[in-house]
Amino acid sequence: MAYFAEHNPHTSPESHGATALALEGIWRVVVLNDPVNLMSYVVMVFKKVFGFDETTARRHMLEVHEQGRSVVWSGLREKAEAYAFTLQQWHLTAVLEPDEAH
Amino acid sequence: MKRIEVKLSLPVVAPLLDVIKSLSDTMGRTLSAPLTIADLDPEFREDWTAELLEAQTSDVGVLLALFDDEFFSEGVIALDEKNAEPVVRACAAVRLRLRENYLKGIADEALESSDLELEELAEPVRKAFMCYLFLATLQELIIQHLDSTILEG
Repeated sequence: MAYFAEHNPHTSPESHGATALALEGIWRVVVLNDPVNLMSYVVMVFKKVFGFDETTARRHMLEVHEQGRSVVWSGLREKAEAYAFTLQQWHLTAVLEPDEAH
Repeated sequence: MKRIEVKLSLPVVAPLLDVIKSLSDTMGRTLSAPLTIADLDPEFREDWTAELLEAQTSDVGVLLALFDDEFFSEGVIALDEKNAEPVVRACAAVRLRLRENYLKGIADEALESSDLELEELAEPVRKAFMCYLFLATLQELIIQHLDSTILEG
């Protein structure tokens, strides 16, 4: 334990376990508004990344625009991270939030 | 291959390329849209950031490559199935960087509606805003004409 702590000052088996536990459950991918990206661009990205149809993509885009955020996907952390990464590649701002209902 | 050619005004667009080029030097160092995800493993975050920066730099390279000899002789650029996706993404990245570097003094509402008096802006801001609008126009053209190739790609 002392050896492990000495060579890994930022982690310990306990904290790693706690982190893993904290990342379990259902996570939401939330897209945040920005004043730069065009509405048509955001719609296209939602269609491309999530496979939304035009109506669903527009609904989420309008939520982002009018309410500042939209939950675009929820599920396991690993896949949520993958979606967030892809959104980042398209320069949209996304955060992950635990879904407290699950 | 689906392809559109766009005739641009050389005297208007050429000076804007200097703005994009000056920003492109910094595009490999920081992300235009900052990474906002908490709880990421530090190593994972580092790998993500490196990969995103590489993609961002590559996309901006494709954008700048549009302005080749044909553009400087005829004022024409060509958008096609191959470059549409990186160009539309690069436009987003550069627009975000323009806002960060030059347009922060402009209210979000004014920026979104583009309702500004150009004559009232200082020269570097005016040029940056012109560039911001030009890149939005490029994005609109791509989305209007090459949207299906991006979605199917």
